[in-house]
Amino acid sequence: MMSDLLLQAAASGVVTGCVYALVALSLVIVYKSTDVVNFAGGELLMLGGYIGLLALVYFELSYPLMFVVVIVAMYAVGALFERIPLTTVRGQRYSKNAEADLVPLVVATIGLGYLLKGAVRVVPYTEEVRRLPPLLEGAPIFIGDVILLKQDIAIIAVTVVVMIALTGFFGWTRTGKALRATSQNPRAAALIGIPVKSMRMIAWGLAAGLAGIAGILLSPKLLMTPDMGNVVMLAFAAAIIGGFSSLVGCVVGGIILGVLQNFVGILISPQAMAVTPFVVIMLILVLRPQGLFGELAFKKV
Amino acid sequence: MDWLKGVKASLIGAAAALAIASPGVAADPGLTDTEITIGLFGPLSGPLVGFGLDPVNAARMWYQEANKKGGIHGRKIKLVIEDDKCTANDVVTVVKKLVTVDNVFMLHGGSCTAALTAAQEYINREKVPYSMLNAAGDNAVIPPLKYTFGAFHGTQRVYAAALAGYAIKELKVKRAAIIVHDDDYGNANLATTRAILEAAKVEVVAAERIPANITDVTAPLLKIRAARPDVILSGAYPAPAVLIAQKYGEYGMTSIPLMQAVQGIPTPAVFARNVGNPAALTNFYHGWSFTDVGDEAIKKKYADIYKSHYPDREAGPFMITGLPSAMAVVEALEKAGRNLTRESFVAAMESLDFKPEILAGPLQFGKDRRDGMRSGFVVKYDGKTQKMMPGVYTWNGKDGL
Amino acid sequence: MYGELTVRPFVGVLILLALGFVLPLLLPEYFLYLGNTLMMYAILALGLDLLLGWSGQFAFAHIAFFGIGIYTSALLQLRLGVPFIVGVPIAAAFAGLVGLLIAIPATRLRTVYLALATYAFAECAQWIFRAWDSVTKGSDGLRISAPDIFGYVVGTDRRAFPVMAIILALVLLSFLYLTRSKLGRELCAIRDSEHVASASGIDVKRTKVIAFVLSAVFAGLAGGTYTLFQSFVNPDSVGLAQLILVLTMVVVGGSGSIAGVLIGVVLIGLLPEFLRAAPRGLLVWQEFFYGLILVLATMFMPRGLWGLWQSLFARAKPQPAASPAAGARGPAA
Repeated sequence: MMSDLLLQAAASGVVTGCVYALVALSLVIVYKSTDVVNFAGGELLMLGGYIGLLALVYFELSYPLMFVVVIVAMYAVGALFERIPLTTVRGQRYSKNAEADLVPLVVATIGLGYLLKGAVRVVPYTEEVRRLPPLLEGAPIFIGDVILLKQDIAIIAVTVVVMIALTGFFGWTRTGKALRATSQNPRAAALIGIPVKSMRMIAWGLAAGLAGIAGILLSPKLLMTPDMGNVVMLAFAAAIIGGFSSLVGCVVGGIILGVLQNFVGILISPQAMAVTPFVVIMLILVLRPQGLFGELAFKKV
Repeated sequence: MDWLKGVKASLIGAAAALAIASPGVAADPGLTDTEITIGLFGPLSGPLVGFGLDPVNAARMWYQEANKKGGIHGRKIKLVIEDDKCTANDVVTVVKKLVTVDNVFMLHGGSCTAALTAAQEYINREKVPYSMLNAAGDNAVIPPLKYTFGAFHGTQRVYAAALAGYAIKELKVKRAAIIVHDDDYGNANLATTRAILEAAKVEVVAAERIPANITDVTAPLLKIRAARPDVILSGAYPAPAVLIAQKYGEYGMTSIPLMQAVQGIPTPAVFARNVGNPAALTNFYHGWSFTDVGDEAIKKKYADIYKSHYPDREAGPFMITGLPSAMAVVEALEKAGRNLTRESFVAAMESLDFKPEILAGPLQFGKDRRDGMRSGFVVKYDGKTQKMMPGVYTWNGKDGL
Repeated sequence: MYGELTVRPFVGVLILLALGFVLPLLLPEYFLYLGNTLMMYAILALGLDLLLGWSGQFAFAHIAFFGIGIYTSALLQLRLGVPFIVGVPIAAAFAGLVGLLIAIPATRLRTVYLALATYAFAECAQWIFRAWDSVTKGSDGLRISAPDIFGYVVGTDRRAFPVMAIILALVLLSFLYLTRSKLGRELCAIRDSEHVASASGIDVKRTKVIAFVLSAVFAGLAGGTYTLFQSFVNPDSVGLAQLILVLTMVVVGGSGSIAGVLIGVVLIGLLPEFLRAAPRGLLVWQEFFYGLILVLATMFMPRGLWGLWQSLFARAKPQPAASPAAGARGPAA
């Protein structure tokens, strides 16, 4: 039955889409607070996954402890990257045009991506495909005719929790509000006494930590290789669907993309799944750059 | 500087060539009374390093073993080793360096067919004998080119023939589903599998071509499930192969045998751990063409030699795939005798017909044949033990062309 | 014509031409192959810099136009027997046409969106090369036949080398003209500030589209030269890795300056060859070092190696002749 097929495909797409959404959240946090498009987002996720694997398999830590280790380690990586290279790049005067000055920052993130990928690849253990043990194991669950794994339910739950926590953080906490002020107008923020440099570090740390969480959730599902960071393009597509600025938009965008990909796989061909996110990116940017429901994407013209 | 050294060497080489050329018998490049220089290459860095590092080491070790026994007709083998990163551009660069700067007698290398194909035109124009390392090599040896020898443990067509043959003969299937990647390996695999199945009146009810970087195999698996096949034949690479096995288990499809081509399951134990769900492997088979599966003694013998050469490195799953080509080269050099030339080496390779103990079938070439090995068999794997199933299946040289 | 035009660039072009004819007599094919590759990358990188360094547009579609250039000229030759000398201009023009179609919507977008949209386009193009296998032979790859230029059959690196040198010389001359033309001035003005540019009467959108199309034409031309000395192409040859390589060349050498880009092409292009001499244990670190180089270059060399060199040694001189960017940039240099 076609409808059963599509229903199952949709359910599976929602789960995969949630993982894309977590990575997309990480990208959007960086973009909103530092104006940088983080091309290393995928590699941060990959690094998080491998740190998790190291903690679980080599140091034999428990799952919750591993989560903490990954988040702390990734926070440090993100904050350090902002503090040392990106701050230095910002200090260089490239041109008179602030817009064009973003180019070297993005190039620096591309460099970071290669650097991380190269560093992980050097470890012989990564030559083979690996898999992080899932958060929850056990027999699949049936919801009607739709089959889901316990791990899948966990992924959806974590995504929802992270999204709510982030919305709360940006809406109600001092630091969150300061971060938003920094992103809207760094000069004004500095004038009213917000430490802009620290804010940027916090944003990068948060984003890298999120990428780490995504890595932990994604690794059991997608398997690990040093090249698994390529999934970042799917996250870009998810973020763009959501308008590249709203947190809820990321999650909805991710889910739309995950479901869409599976529908393309069933109704057109699996071969066309690879090109789906890129077609989505192009169409949305050309036809509706503010995203399907986002605020206007062009801030600060 | 390496650059200048290269220029100097080639100038001296050119002068020397002129000097020798006069009295008729000019020795081919890379050949002296005491040495044969071979250019050895494979991916030693980059994403596909896992396919090449151990095989290059294994080939090197085999040449060193030959040297230890006194060399070949009084000549020792000297190696120049290069990294081709498995990209077309690097393969061409490395091949040109080895031929025109290092002046090697012959080339031996390459783990990725698509990249190797880029250098075939040059190699055959320069008439340099070339033996592939461990690439399946369909597109580089079919159609055959005079100086290129390959597929020392089978082409994709051989792996496909073994799985399809077993499915027809032993599993007696009537409806088959095929899942492959949308690349050169996938094309060769799909064409062969389809040809063999259809010749045996087996209906191909689904043929899914998936991207190599696929992140969710739900769609193709659902389509396959809906087509109700008696067997699923997969030509996927390691990560997608695991995803397929996982989904197959998750959807409770395990009454249908799942057969996976060799490229998807480099180390069975790692594969099983990645799949995670033991139930998914109750009806699982994979192809292979090395006898190390059924024979612990052989496995140990070569692992021990490797350990003695490279004490710091644990041999990976693809180590053994670097050996057959090196064995063939040594055999052909022996056969070509003391009066070795590039042409006599090519003739010796062409008439090669021997069966290394590690291979399921013989290594044979011929006037119009440049793919060396055509035999494969099927292994049943339950996540713990590998059981070699009876019957060796041979590709007939025609299916899937 | 704007900016000073001195003799030095022309001497450089003449030296290039002389080398183009002399080196094939001296060097083994390996070096000539490297030379051909570098000359091809030079055309590709100069084209990319026209967008990146000259008009401040962060576009990633470049590698797609390169691929369009390769496939168009190879297929025209293979399927329709169109000779190289006709096929390559057609390929470059076709790349330019596709560039125009992309440029019209894309130039409305700002940096990051432009980068993502054009990157997505590059991925789509690569997917088409792979999926349209009845024409492009897909992943199996396309064998390219040796071009014939008025009876001069190219085929080998030795014979391709002088032709490459001539093409690169023409490209360099056109760049010397372009960067000193009204268009070059306008591009720099837009890069520095769109507001000021449009206030002083420049049609910003039109100028950006022109730059985009020209850049695509150069990429298509670079693709055409690929068929001179390569005998095979598959979609893997026109992917993200090649794009990052060209981007690294531009960033490390010096964006916005012809000399800088050429320096970047030579250094980054030859880096893997120098690494061959390094111990095998070091080889696996290559990706890491590429990343590190990119990060360090953006941190400490905002104008690339060329800019660094200028600021260290040539500050006293008024306006170094070999760098049109310095001339055009004026006080920024």
